[in-house]
Parts: sequence; structure tokens; C-alpha cells
Amino acid sequence: MTDANPSPPTEATSRADTVEPLPVSTVADLAATVTENVGQVIVGHTDEIEHVVTTILARGHVLLDDVPGVGKTMLARSIARSVDCSFRRVQFTPDLLPSDITGVNVFNQKTREFEFQPGPVFANLVLGDEINRAPPKTQSALLEAMEEAQVTVDGTTRPLPDPFVVIATQNAIEPNRTYELPFAEVDRFMKKLSLGYPNTDEESELLARTVGHHPIESLDPVTNLESIIRARETVATVAVEEPVRRYASKLAKYTRERAHIGASPRGTIALLRAAQARAVLDGREYVIPDDIQHEVPYVFSHRIKTTSSGRDTDGDTIVEDALDHVHVP
Amino acid sequence: MSTSNRRRTISVDLSETVGGEPFRLLALSGLVVLTAAYVAVLREVTLVVGGTRSLYLIVVGMGLGATVLARAIRPRTALTIGLGASVLGFWTYLEATGHGLGTAITHADMFVSDTVTLATGMELLQMLEAGIWTLAFVPAPVFLSWYLAMRERYVLSVIPGGLALLFLVLTGDASMGVTLVGVVGGISAVGFGELHHRDGSIAQADVLAIMFAVIVFLSLSVTLVPGGAASPTFLVESEPGTLDGVIDDNPDRTTITGQVDLSPEVQFSVVTEEPGYWRTGVYDRYTGDAWVRSGPDGSYDDIGLAPPAGEYDTARHTFTIEHQRNTIPVAAQPTAVEGDVTDALRVTDHGQPMPDGPLIQGDMYNVESASLHNDPETLASAGTEYPEPITEYYLQTPESTSEAFEDRTAEILDAADADNPYEKAAAIEAYFQSEYDYTLDVDRPGGNAANAFLLEMDEGYCVYFATTMTQMLRAEGVPARYVTGYTTGQQVDDNEYVVRGLDAHAWVEVYFPDHGWVAFEPTPQSRDDTHQDRLEEARADGEPNVDTDASAGVPADGIQDEPDALEDIVDGVPAPLDDGNDSDNQSDGTPDANRTPDGNESDDDPFDQRINPGGGTAPGAGADDDDAGIPSIPFSSGDVFVGLAVLVGLAAGAHRSGVPALVSREVRLYWHGFREEPVTDTRRAYDRLEHLLARSYRPRERGESPRGYLASLEATHSVDPRARRVMELYERAHYAGEIDEEGATEAIDLVTELARERAPVVGHLWQ
Repeated sequence: MTDANPSPPTEATSRADTVEPLPVSTVADLAATVTENVGQVIVGHTDEIEHVVTTILARGHVLLDDVPGVGKTMLARSIARSVDCSFRRVQFTPDLLPSDITGVNVFNQKTREFEFQPGPVFANLVLGDEINRAPPKTQSALLEAMEEAQVTVDGTTRPLPDPFVVIATQNAIEPNRTYELPFAEVDRFMKKLSLGYPNTDEESELLARTVGHHPIESLDPVTNLESIIRARETVATVAVEEPVRRYASKLAKYTRERAHIGASPRGTIALLRAAQARAVLDGREYVIPDDIQHEVPYVFSHRIKTTSSGRDTDGDTIVEDALDHVHVP
Repeated sequence: MSTSNRRRTISVDLSETVGGEPFRLLALSGLVVLTAAYVAVLREVTLVVGGTRSLYLIVVGMGLGATVLARAIRPRTALTIGLGASVLGFWTYLEATGHGLGTAITHADMFVSDTVTLATGMELLQMLEAGIWTLAFVPAPVFLSWYLAMRERYVLSVIPGGLALLFLVLTGDASMGVTLVGVVGGISAVGFGELHHRDGSIAQADVLAIMFAVIVFLSLSVTLVPGGAASPTFLVESEPGTLDGVIDDNPDRTTITGQVDLSPEVQFSVVTEEPGYWRTGVYDRYTGDAWVRSGPDGSYDDIGLAPPAGEYDTARHTFTIEHQRNTIPVAAQPTAVEGDVTDALRVTDHGQPMPDGPLIQGDMYNVESASLHNDPETLASAGTEYPEPITEYYLQTPESTSEAFEDRTAEILDAADADNPYEKAAAIEAYFQSEYDYTLDVDRPGGNAANAFLLEMDEGYCVYFATTMTQMLRAEGVPARYVTGYTTGQQVDDNEYVVRGLDAHAWVEVYFPDHGWVAFEPTPQSRDDTHQDRLEEARADGEPNVDTDASAGVPADGIQDEPDALEDIVDGVPAPLDDGNDSDNQSDGTPDANRTPDGNESDDDPFDQRINPGGGTAPGAGADDDDAGIPSIPFSSGDVFVGLAVLVGLAAGAHRSGVPALVSREVRLYWHGFREEPVTDTRRAYDRLEHLLARSYRPRERGESPRGYLASLEATHSVDPRARRVMELYERAHYAGEIDEEGATEAIDLVTELARERAPVVGHLWQ
């Protein structure tokens, strides 16, 4: 099966020799610091911020799906600013071309050679804004990068920086002017989150913060790339024992039996990785079923396709049912 | 207790000495009452499985022996004799169950765990060789208590009998009344014994009176019984249960009651190409007023379902549960179960799956069943060479079976000229179908229901027909068993059936060598109408949960265009020949392998009068209950934890009464001896904790993680913080696989502490 990991396995193994994992408690603190830092900009939504942080630690990508104006882009930018890393943003539009993302070979008049001009995808954190506005061909350029952690332009393959994380947003409205992400491609996002509207208190707080200078302007980095790389290594070493693995696969099996298309094995892998990150946030070196239960609604729901006639109306319902029906080992 | 009174009574001058002898007799009478109490409980067992006479002989023999030997041998020798008698008895038991003493020694932990299971509420009747076990159990307490009483050691003499009674209380076999009588007897023995020792000062009668009062009060208020046997339901005849609630609620025991109602609520739906009867329970032991499932069960993962021998076709059925229930419907004979439920599935010795916790609405699973081909000729010539496991399980009749019952059975079979097992079964079936009427309004006859139904009654419902037919066949030496479940249900689509409470049913499976289990249907066909009327009535009244989306609007008698099944019926053929639905299995002797209720499944009845389940007509109009939905856990029997605590408490009690402290140390040493790896130990400790919590609060739901479960309990109750610690240790052991000896010990100790503190009565003794 294909590996959802953006880093090719070979790289992962070579890294294991050189990268010293951080202690679990340090990673938990780091995550808390980032979450808190981002929380200066994003009011409320602590859970969602945490989900983005866990996705980054779990070597995944995240899709934010909501109506415009609830802070999807702001969330991605705040995360990028909190980590001292390269950040690029791509605004997807209907006329965006694949090369606008990956980069192009430009003919250099002086050297009389083609030189590669890297596209915005060559960054540690890439924000793909309103990804569903671009046609599928362009979307897939980004998605290939996500899957392979590399881009190929004119036959030359170039690796992307490590870490490489995509935070994509998509508009839940205006279906006529958007291209829905193909089901197979949605599968490449580890999690899909929605922010939702703030409640009155939160909105009032939000207004108070932003009425003068926008707080993001003064947001300082609280961690760096090296810490993130080492923290990812920590997450990767979290133990997932047989009972937990079986539990994850039974949840997936349940969705497959109930839905037209259920969670894929890639989804199960993503689930376990997300659960590993969740365990680390909780200060544990091993995954417990609670971690799985916490993550599964965000990891599985968008990978489930229901038939219109079924009595389970959407992925969320099926995941809820799965949690009720599958025995916790 | 009365030691402090000794001096006082001398000084009080109203003390009037009556002399010791009458008190001695009274003390001995008390002991007789105590002995009678537990012997009466054991007699209940032997009445079902045979051996009552032997039981009496052993009791009397041991009593006489003890009397004679009382002056001749020393206590130590007596103890040896008593224990020797026990060991000999249990050795016989083990031999009889085919294990032998070697097994008991090499599998001592299994032996202990069996005993614990028994002590936590498994009825004696569920044991394979209940009769032999009973006869093995009785000599030691009778001998020892009588011996000690003859030596005027009254306090000690009550202990063996008291322990025997306590054990029977824990198994759930001793009723509250019997327990009370036994306790009063024991207390009398102690009390009058004291008076005897002190030459019977009347002034001490007040002490006795107080003791009686306390004991009676305790016996009535302290319910130590973890999982009593189902109490006879005919006490509540004024409020009839529903048919499915009565026959389908407990996979271990089903009681024969009087009048029942039909519940129209949808229970489950089935998608299948081979409709049949849906079996939920198989019972082999008949007590006269209930059916009990005997023999062990094991987890589905470990033992699976044995396929029938020989060639067979398989059919797949998809079940969806619509209403919470405690039994799992399958098509007979099941060979595999897949789906949500298999994590907590057990399989009985009879090859019937049963869930370990309630199935809930929305559970879905597939059952693969085997169908073999039977026809009357081959069944008729199947012979009577039954394998031994079959004759052992399925020929039992209770001692209350009357001669008149056997005579009447023989008459009916003579009249029908039936001379092989198949013809006998067919003749009995035909007899009931033609001579009896169907009614749900039955007064529960006293005594053996089968006797009464055959000899005195002329109408009843499926429970009576199936019970009586099974017993008649057994009286004729034909292995048969009582099977419960549901008829096919209402056909709502080509392959879909909706099954309601009113479809609940009981029928008979008969064993044929080389074929296996074949279903027979003694209940008259007029059942269909009754049950169908009930459905129509429920729909007319707008009762809730009567229909699913699929069944709404489908006439009560189902889709009409499916005449095949009816046409296929061959009279007297247990299984329809054409459909392939039927099956007969050729299986060999193991009880599991053999069952094939073919006839039923396929819809046809062996006899024309049968209810045709497959025909697409829903026989259901039924009744059923809401009770099926109540999540009572099938093993009503309580939990290992109480058993452990009680065993420990017993040791403590022994310690108090003068048996050397060594005993209690032994118990602890004993358990340490069974320590395994830390991970296993911690898991076991957590299991005990969970039982403990389930007992105090509620059981863990299946979708709940240990942590979530505890958090939810903590939100509403003040849970002991030690529980959380054990949970964390368990998580470490189970989900991380890393725990050391020390952690495991901590978990075990914490649980043991918690357990002891919570144990009723016994906990205080320990403290």
C-alpha cells in the first residue's frame, strides 16, 4: 500500500540515525506552547489548533473545510509564524496552473541554460487556500507533492524540504464555482477540520483583539524546525500495541461494512499516527484506545462515502456508530 | 459468644437447671435441620439427573458411620476420612467427565477457576455430571459435622455443614427459604450445644433468643447470593410475561410459565436466501419446570463452531439487531459468525453461540450455516447407534417423570405403529398437531409440566409442545433436545425478513446418527393465526416499534407471491427436498457438530401441519416482551471477584474458628503460586476491578475505553482513587506491554484491597 508519509521511508530511516528524539514531556510542552501561542490570534478553537499541531507532529496534512471568514487562513498563518520555518501561501484560483505550484524551468539568457525556479510548494509549511477553486489538474500537482514529498518538473525530480506540511482550506459554499476534491485525494489529508462560528463571547473577544493591530503581526516564533523534526521523531517512536492496532482496524472495518466506501488502510495508518501524536500530547509513550477515539472522527469522517439511501446519512454518523458498536479491547 | 455468661448465670438465682440431655438432643436436631437444608438443595439436582436414592444412602451411611466412629477415632483421623471421602468422590467425578485425576493436578488452576465459577453463581444443574458431583460433594460435610457433634464439639460441627450450605448459596441453588432454615438449624446447634455444655441454665435462653433474632434478620436482609437461579415465575401469573421474554431471555435456563402475551416489537431482521427458524438457545436438561443448558462454554475465538461432518451446502444470513437482546439469533446449524459481535461471543457445548453482553440496536453480523440433505427414508434407516456424548447429554429425564407418562407415550407410538426413531418423532408430532389446540392462555400445571401436558391438558403453546415432545422421545430412548428461537418472521422483500417478539418459538431437535440434528415441529398450525392476529391488532392500535422501514405496509401475512416453500412441503419430511434449504447433517457424534434443524429452516415442516416458517408467511403475531430488551447480562451469575473474596473469607472464617492460621497463609501462597507474567497479572487484576466496578455502579459499555469508563463513573460517583491507579497500570500493561513485577503486584494488591473492603460480610471478617 502506498505510504501516506510525505517523507520517503529511506529518508526516515536515515534520519533515525541522526535525529535524536525529544523526551515525550518536552514534546508535550512544545505542543502546548505552540497551541497557546496560536491561541493569541485565534480565539476559541483550542481543540482545532491542537488538531493541527498533532497533524504536523504526526507527519500529516490537514484540510480545513468551512465557510469563508471563520479564520482558516489565519489559523494556518499563525501556526507558520509560531514555528520558525519557511512558509508559502498559494491562493488557488480557477486559472491556476500546476507549474504555478511546483515551479518552472526558466531559460537563463546568460548561462544559456534552463534554471529551475522553485514554486511555492518548496517550503516547510504550505497554505493551499481555497484549494477547491482550482481545477483538478492543478489540485493534483499539490496532492502529488503531499504524497511523495517531491515534485517532478520536466522529468527532474526534486525533493521537498523536510518537514513538509500542507494546510489546505476549502470553501464549503459556492458549490457551482468550485471543483470538489476527488474522493481519492481527500484521502491524503490526515484530518479534516471545521472551525465553525465563534460564540458571542469569543467573537467579542476576537473583535477586541483585532480592532487595533492584528495580533498576528506581533506573533513571535516559539519553536524551530529542528525541534519539530525531533518532536516528529518522538511521535514516531510512540508504541502502538496489538490491542490498539486491532481496535483501529475494527473501526475501519465497521465503516467499510456500513458505508459505500469506508476508511482505507491509508486512513487507518493516518489514524494510528494521529493517535501517536495525541498520546505524546498527553505525556504518554504509548497509545491507548482513548487516543484513537479522540482522533477517529477527524481522521475517518472525510474518508467515508455514504449512499444516499442508507439510513446513516454521513461519515460522522457512521464513525459515531462505530465508536458505539466496536468493542474496546 | 456465651463464654462471658457463664459466671453471671451462676450468680443469677433464677437459673433453673434443666439438665444437659434435652439440649443435646435439641442441638443435634439443629444439626439435622442444617444437614437437611443442604441435602434438600442437592436433592433438587438429583431429582433432575437421577441419583436421589444414592444421595439418601450416602447421607444416612455417613451419619451412621460418624456416630459409630465418634468415640473410636481422633479428630485428625476423622478429618482425614472426611477429606478422603471428598477426594474419592471428586476423583469419580473427574473420571466420569473424562478428565481423570491427572488433569486435576496438572490443571489445578483450571480446577480452581471452575470452582470459583461455580461459587459465583453457576447453577449445579449446568454442570456436565451434576449428579456425580452432588454425590461427591455430600459425604464430607455430613460425616465431619456429625462426627464433631457426637463428640459434643457443636461449634465446630456446624462449620462443615455451614460451608456446604454457603457454597450452595453461592451457586444460586439454595433458595432464601432453605438458607434461612439451614442457618437457623446451625444456630440452634451452636446455641443448644452451649446450653448442653453449661448444663442448660434457662437463664441463657435470652442469649439464644437474641442470636436467633439477629440471624433471622441477617438472613433476610443480607443478600449474599450473587446470581440466584431464576425464580419460579408462576407466582406472577396475574401479570403474564411476553412469550419471547419467557423463552428467550437467558441462554442458561428457560422456565416454563403459564399464560403469556405476545409482543409485536421488531427484534431483528434477516437478509437470507434460505429462510428458516432462527435459533437462539439449545437446552438439554429438564427439571420438570425449566430447561437448563449444561456443560461448559468457551469463547468463539478459541473454539469456533464445529462444522458438520460430511458434505453440506452453506448458506449465509445477515442479521441486523433492532432491539437490545441477550441472545444471538443464528440459523441452525451455524458454522461461522462474522461481524461486530464476535469479540464478545461464546459458544456453548451444544454449538449454540451466545453473546457475552447484550447485543444492541444496529449490531449486524453474518452467520454461515450448513444445510445437508435429509429425506425420510434415510432418516428412518439411520439406526440407533448414538455416539456417547449424545446419549449422555440428550436422554435425561427428571425423576418426576411418571410411569403414566411413559405408558401414554408408548400407547401413542403403538397406535401410530412407529418403530424407528424417525417414525416415533413423526408420530408424536402428528399426534400433537391433530389432538391438541393452540392457546397462550395456559394455567401453569403444578409439578412436571410434561406429565401434566400429556396426561391432563389438551391445549398450550410452543413451550409445552416442545417440552413434552422432547421428554416423550427421551422416554423412548431417542436423543432429543429443546430449542428456542424465532420463526422465520414476516417476509418484507425478496430476501428480507422482519422478526418480532411474537415470532418467538420453541421446537424440538432430534438426533439421527450420521445425520445430526433434525428439527421437528409439534406445535399446531393454528399458532400462525393467533400470532398474525396479534400483529394486525398491534398495527391497528398503532403500537410502537411494530414495523421497520422495510416492513411498514407489508401485510401481516407477508409477501404473498412466494408459494414455493409451501409447495415443497413433503409431509412427514423434516426437510423439504427441493430447496436445498433443508439440511440434514451428517455429523458425527459430537454434540456441536450435529445439530441441524433443517426442517425448520427450510420452512417446511416435517409434517404438513407444521408451521411453515419459510413459506414467507409470518407466523408471527406474537407476543413478546419488552423484557428482551432489558440489558440483563446473560451470565447472571455474578462475578469472579465476589467468588474470590468469598473464598478468602471462608479461609478467614476457618481461621477464626480455630483451624490453624496456616490455612489462610496457604491461600495467599496458593494465589501467588499462580502469578504469571506481569502483563497477564495486571490484566487479570483489571478484570477483577472491572467486575467490582460493574457490581457497584454499572458495567463498561462496549464502546467505552477503560479510561473513559472510569472517567464517566468518577463524574457521577465518588470512585475510590485506587481504581484509577489500577486502570493506569492496566493501560501500561495492556496497551504498552511494559510493566514490571512491581507494577503488577501493586495492581493485584490494590484490587485485592478494594475487593475485600467491598465484600459483603466477608470483608468485615477480614478487616
